[in-house]
Order: sequence, then structure tokens, then C-alpha cells
Amino acid sequence: MKLFRALDKGILKLEEFILSYAIILIALMVISKPITRTLLGYTLPFADEVSQISVTIATFMGISYAARKGRHISMSAFYDMAPFKVRKVLSIFIPLLTAIILFAFAYYSTLYVLDIKASGRVTPALQMPTYILYMFIPIGFFLGGIQFIRNMWINIRDRDNVYLGTDAKDYNDMENQEIEETGHL
Amino acid sequence: GGNGGDGGDSADGGDSGESQTWRMVTEEVDGQVQYEYAQEFADRINEKTDGQVTIEPYEFGGLGNETDQVEQLETGAVEMAVMSPGFTGNMVKEGQLFALHFLFPDSVEQTQEVLNNSEALNTDLREKYEEHGITPLAYWTEGAMQWTSSGTAIESPSDFEGFKMRTQTSPLILESYRAYGADPQSMSWGELYTALDRGTVEGQENPIFFIGDASFYEVQEYMTISNHNNYVAMTTVNSDWYNGLDEEMQSTIDETVEEMQEWVFEEQKAQNEEWLQTIKEDEENPTEIIELTDEQREAFRSAAMDVRDFYRSEVSTVDGEILDKLEQEITDITGAETGESSGEEGSSEEGSDSEEDSGSEE
Amino acid sequence: MLATMLTIMVILLLLNFPMLVPLMVAPLIVLFIYFPNMDPTIMMQQFSTGIEAYVLLAVPLFIFAADIMTTGKTSNRLLDFIGSFIGHIRGGYAVTTAAACTLFGAISGSTQATVVAIGTPMRERLLKIGYKDPTAMALIINSSDVALLVPPSIGMIMYGLVSGTSVGDLFIAGIIPGIIVFLAFTIYSVGYAIVKDIPLANKATWKERWQMTRKALLPIGFPVIVIGGIYTGLFSPTEAAGVSVLYAFILEVLIYRSIHIKQLPSIARSTGIVTSAVFVLVAGGQAFTWVISFARIPQMITEAVLGPDPSAIFVLVMVSVFFFVGCMFVDPIVVILVLTPIFYPAAMSAGVDPIHLGVIITFQAALGSATPPFGVDIFTASAVFNKPYLEVIKGTPPYIVMMVAIAVLLIYFEELSLMLL
Ligand code: NA
Ligand code: NA
Repeated sequence: MKLFRALDKGILKLEEFILSYAIILIALMVISKPITRTLLGYTLPFADEVSQISVTIATFMGISYAARKGRHISMSAFYDMAPFKVRKVLSIFIPLLTAIILFAFAYYSTLYVLDIKASGRVTPALQMPTYILYMFIPIGFFLGGIQFIRNMWINIRDRDNVYLGTDAKDYNDMENQEIEETGHL
Repeated sequence: GGNGGDGGDSADGGDSGESQTWRMVTEEVDGQVQYEYAQEFADRINEKTDGQVTIEPYEFGGLGNETDQVEQLETGAVEMAVMSPGFTGNMVKEGQLFALHFLFPDSVEQTQEVLNNSEALNTDLREKYEEHGITPLAYWTEGAMQWTSSGTAIESPSDFEGFKMRTQTSPLILESYRAYGADPQSMSWGELYTALDRGTVEGQENPIFFIGDASFYEVQEYMTISNHNNYVAMTTVNSDWYNGLDEEMQSTIDETVEEMQEWVFEEQKAQNEEWLQTIKEDEENPTEIIELTDEQREAFRSAAMDVRDFYRSEVSTVDGEILDKLEQEITDITGAETGESSGEEGSSEEGSDSEEDSGSEE
Repeated sequence: MLATMLTIMVILLLLNFPMLVPLMVAPLIVLFIYFPNMDPTIMMQQFSTGIEAYVLLAVPLFIFAADIMTTGKTSNRLLDFIGSFIGHIRGGYAVTTAAACTLFGAISGSTQATVVAIGTPMRERLLKIGYKDPTAMALIINSSDVALLVPPSIGMIMYGLVSGTSVGDLFIAGIIPGIIVFLAFTIYSVGYAIVKDIPLANKATWKERWQMTRKALLPIGFPVIVIGGIYTGLFSPTEAAGVSVLYAFILEVLIYRSIHIKQLPSIARSTGIVTSAVFVLVAGGQAFTWVISFARIPQMITEAVLGPDPSAIFVLVMVSVFFFVGCMFVDPIVVILVLTPIFYPAAMSAGVDPIHLGVIITFQAALGSATPPFGVDIFTASAVFNKPYLEVIKGTPPYIVMMVAIAVLLIYFEELSLMLL
């Protein structure tokens, strides 16, 4: 159990690191272009590519983090109107199915990465093997699947509350005050 | 539409007698050379097979970007594709030779002749592609590449110094422009029009029909008829699929590919000439057309020669063997060293000035 | 086939599945049922392609700049300033929002970025003065539509490339429709404030106004530098997003010192979450587009709906409907790339002006981005404001009515697009 918690914490830290520095890296790369172009008449040939790599990594590695924080976008119109019991049932059923689907995507995207690896393709500017980048797609889907399982589990374990994610209670059961607090970016 | 269901299942069906649907994906949109090619190709195959084979041409956009399309051909999601080697250069490195400047003859006719008959391309390079499950059945030009610019008219390599030139970002292309002393810049094509308009970048390269179609000339002051290389496209098929066809069907395809070579040459010529005329006559967005003298071309050509060594040592996986052979074939056709004469003739006529014009009365 | 796909999506959506599930699963199931020989790994390829479009980089960067400015003081200084001049009139804050969105749209070219950059600080202002949240959010996401109409517009650049139309002309043609939308929202905002009796803000004295102006001088420089930079060619629209980050950084970290540099990673992290939540949908949208393109669903539909010899108006109406619905599902850029080539030939043979067609298409792309059930701006607002979907869309109907009315106006009077040319 202790090992489990340490692993969880490690992954959480890693995801937070990736999300933060992917965005900072994109900013640095994009800002560098007009600056170097104006001052030196030159742009880093890999600037666009590094930005695009960062976006891909942040997007897929963010799936599980957003799931943990209950930040995935959904059309909750009918869900919000439903009574506690219905929401409780859905809060177990939806993460389960979502997890299964993400695991399926993890499987297919692994196949895709293997295809890319076999083709030997490299990125245009950095000449980096493309599969290294695309590896983050199955990893992201897999970690996302795990997190949705955990979202399901917390809803099974805690009978009195509905959770949107392990770190996020359902806003429908909260006072406005709390929503404001959790809602800040 | 109730007929949606049966579209995909015929892809694997090899049994003759039944009607089949093949997909042919292109990198261009309706009206542009590649798509027109695919449509004409589809019509001819349909007629030759008495309506048994339907080819559905796909425009650029719906099936992802160019690299995606290459992968889709590799995996057999589509059976056929028109693609340019530039987008496979990170997979089949040898294919990057099409990006070398002043490699092919100055005359577009002679270039097409090389593309049709070269063993280096049609045998050796083809084998390289087949290692990836893609068979190029033919190579053809979409026209010579030109430079457009604002602020500076590009007439000699020194004009590139400090000039903000937008190119694609393969190492070979970057090297080609560094050879002229330029610092090439990357700029996504979605932003290129605005960037040229505002002077964020000052110039770019493309065939004339594309410069016209994408309206780049509207925001550029000069167009240098540099013909520094050709925009080459390939008619390609998924190797396994093609090899699995019966011989009759294969020869129908081969035969059609061959007749299309002349058709597409005329098509690109017509489009490029028409756009050149439009660009010349557009008084609202005047573009000065710059013809290079033989000496001016020579200056670019000699500056570009070193890049071939870069190709041999840094890009090629077979030490430039295919390039060596191709260079020989080109010399055989032009009857001169590719490094020297520009092989231009017939430009005595005052009005007709483009390469295509001079060659057309062959 | 389309029916299967839509049914699956709607059911999953209504059950409150994370939206990435219906967007990604529906096309997968269509592949399984109708194209059993097709390798589903193709969809994985499209996931990555969808988010690799260079122009999309502007989205996380504008979000990042907005996050920095929201954490710090920039936005407050800027809005104190605007508020001190027009905040006291009826609906002054709502008009300010519409104006700020229009202005920011002239910087970013992206509706999503506008939602974030203007919406984040303005929403707080609107709530404070007494607007209900759905009203505020509806105003924000709809005012952001204008970003696609006024230059620069990424949507118009895409249309220009695909159709071979002059992008410069398109830019000019979008100005009047953009202003019409802004005016309509302004009139509505004032009327709404009168009817709902939104409290008036205190009228600022000229001394206060001067103070606010002085405090706001640096933040005001922000749009000036960004717009000026684009128009003088110092940087591209996407790079402008990067410059916004730099500018926000200089103001908040170096000059005002309202943010310590150590806080940046945690601000970037919150940007990262929103980016991920929005971009997985862009990825899913791309896979979705691939399947409908591959199955030639669009072609089937146009043949069926346009008939043999359609009139110009009829074509434009159908174009509007299709782009509107298309943008409900996926990013407007993708819709323009996919649908323009399909409708363009029909429109040309019906005698539609290509520039006018571009304006109509861009207008629908803008409208569709803010319209339920699937507008990308709604996703963005939902993610950025961390609000449930229903609350985000509750206030949109009046705006949809206005936008549809303007759309009809544009369809019938092509001069509105063409008169500046
Ligand atoms: Na704009
Ligand atoms: Na919508």
C-alpha cells in the first residue's frame, strides 16, 4: 500500500512537471522566433518542432491529470439535473467504461507506435525518431485509464459523496463558496 | 445515402468480375495539378475496365496531412496516392535528391524525359520505396520552382544575405539555402500569406501555379524565374496490393500511368502558363517578373554544387549512388555537363520567355 | 452510417461521459461496423495530426498569458481603466466585454484564445457588478466569435488557401460583418441592462480616470504592441501569442512584481490542464473528420441536398447549415479545410462571389464555435471557467438568434461583404 502511494505521488509529480514545463518550453520556443529573426535575421530551425512535440506530450500526459482533478469537459446538462442516487450510479459506471475505452486506445496507439518505429521515420528538423514522440500517446491513454479506474474506486468506497475525480468532489453537492475556491485556475 | 455501407469492403477483394473501388489520395485540392491528375486517371481506368473499377480521388485535407497520407498508403488504408518525395524524405532519405537545386535540366521537357526514363529513379529509387511498402509507378513534374520576394529582387546569391527566406525545414533544404548565404526560416503555410504581406518573412519558393493559387504573388513584389528545381510528384501504389492484382489489371494500371505522363505534363504546363499570365496582368497587385541571365543562373548553380556533397555524405544511405547514376543520365540527355551550359534555346522570340514556352514547340 | 455515428455520440454525451469518449468512440465503432478491414490504428495517427497544426500553438500561449495576467494585476488595471470611462453607463461592462473581445480578436485570429484572454478577467468584473454567470459566459463566448471575422483571421487564411481566393480581400471583407456583430451585441447589452436593471457602477471622477489611465498605461501597451507587431510584420499571429506571454511576464514579474518567478511553473500547470482538456477534443475531432471524409459522407450529403441546379441563395443557405453543423463538432479550421472544397464548385457554378462565400463560411465557423451542443468555445469556456456545460450554454439563445439574423442579412446582401473592396 505504501509503495502504491509512493508510486502515485511520483506519477503525480511527473505529470505536473510535464504540464508545467511543456507550456513554458512552447512559450520560449515561440517567443524566440520573432526575437532572433529581428535581431539576427535567423530562427532556430527546431523551434516549431519542439513546440509541437511539447503540445503533443502535454495533451496526452494531461489526460490522467485532468481526470484526477475532474477537469475533463463533458456535457453535464442532464447529469446535473439528476438526483444524488442516479449521479452516484453514473459516477461508477462512466469512469469504468471510460477506462476500458482508454485502455483500448492505449493498445491501438501502441500498435501505431510500433508501426512508426518500424518505418524508421524521423522528425524533419531535429531528425529525432518520430516514435519517441508518439510513445507518449499510449502512455497517456494508459495512465488516463488507470486514473479513471481510481475515480470509479473512490466512488465505490465513499458512499456519501460523488467524486468527479479522486481530487475533485461533484460541484452539485457543494456550496457556492467551495466552488469558487476549487474553480480558480 | 443508403450505399455508404459497401464502400470499404472492396479494398481487399482481388476476385475479378466483381466491381471494385480503389482510393487515390492526393496532396492538392480540386483544380490543382495532382487532383486533376487523379480524376483523369480515375476516368481512364473506369473506362478501360468497363466501369468495373471505380477510383475515388481524395483531395488534400480530409485524410490528414501529407505524412499521414504516406502512412495510409503504407498500411493499405488507401490503395493509391499522388505524393511528392519531399514528404517522404524522413523515411526514404534518397528521395530528398529532388530538393537539390540545379540538378535536373533547365528545360522542363528534358526534366520530364529524365523522370520518365531514368533507371536511377525508376529502378533504384523505386526499390528504396518498396522497402517501405510503397511502389512509385511514375515520376512527373508539376513545374519548376520559382522564388518570390519583397524588398530585394533575387538576382544573385548575395541577394539572399540577410534575406528572410521561408522554406520547409529538412536539413537538405536548409543546407541548399545556406549555400547561397541565406538563413532560411520556418513558417507554417497557414501563416505564410500574412507573414509575406507584413514582411515577417520576405520570400518563399513554389511552382507558379501554387504561387498563383495561394495568392502569394499578391503580397510579393518580385518573382524570379529561377527554375532552381522541379516540384516532382509520384504516382504511387501500395506494394502488396499492387502485387496482389492479376496481371491484366496490373498492365492496365501501368499502361494508364504511362499515357498519363504526357497528359499531366500538358496539364501542369497549361496551369503554370495560365497563372504566369494572370500574375503578369494583375495590375492591382503588380509583380515584377525577373528573368535570370545565363551568368546569373551560373552563379546560383555553382553555389549549389557543394550541397550535392552534403547530400552524399549526410543524407544518402548509399553514399549518393543513386545521385551519381542520375547525374550521368542527366548528362546523357542534355549532352553536356550539368554544371555548365544552361541548355536554353529558342528564347530569341521576344514575347515567349518562360522555360515552358521555349520548350513547347519541340 | 452517419445515423449510427450520431446516435452513439448523443447517447454517450447525454450520459455525461467525458466528451473525448463520444468523439473518439463513435468513429471507432463506425470503422468496426462499416470498414472491418480497416486498421483502427489509423485513428491514432489522426489524434496526433489533429493537435500538430502550428496555428493551434496560439491557444495554450494566449491561455498562459491570460493566466499570468489573471494571477497578477494587468487585467485589473486595464479593466479599471475601461470601467472608469464607460462602466457607469447602462450595460457598460457588457459593452466593454464585447469591445474587448472584438479588439482581442483583431490580435489573435482565434476565438478560443479570445475566450480565455478576455473572458477570464471580464467574467469576474461582470459577476461583481451583478450579471448572472450564464449571461456573462454567453456574452463572452459569443463576442469572441468576432475574432474570426476581423483580421487577422486564421479561418480566412485557410479558406483562401483551399479555394484560391485572395486572403487580403477576405480580410477586408470581414471587417463590416465583424462590426455588425459587435454593434448588435452592444445594443442587446444596453437593452438587457435596462430591462434587468443591472446596477450602475459609480461614475468615476476625472481625477480617478486620470489615475486609472496612468496605472493602465503599460497594460494598454499590450494590445498596441501585439497589433502593431503583427501589422508591421515583426511577428506572425501565432508568434504574437508568444509575445503576449513575454509582455505579461515583463509586466507582472519584472515591473509590478505581483508574481514571483517561482510561481510560473504552477501557473503554467493550470494552463497545461486546460490545454490538455481542449486538445484531446481537437484530436478526437480530427479522427472523426478522417472517418467521415474517408467514408465520403460529405459528398453523399451534398449530392442529396443541393440537387441538380441550385440557386445562389439556396447554395449559401445550405453552406451555412453545413458549416454551422460541422463547426458544432470540430474545430472551424478543420471544417473549413474539409467542407470548402466540397461546396466551392457548386457555389461558383451557381454564381456566388468567392469572397462573399468566404465571409459566409467564416461567419458560420464563428457562429458554430459558440453554439451548443459541441462548440469549441463552449469547451474552452467550460474548461477555463471550470463550469458545468449546462451553465455555460444557458445564456446563449439570444446570441444565437442575433447571429442567425445577421447570417440571413449577410446571405441576402452580399454588398455587406464586398463594399469595402
Ligand atoms: Na481576427
Ligand atoms: Na457549436
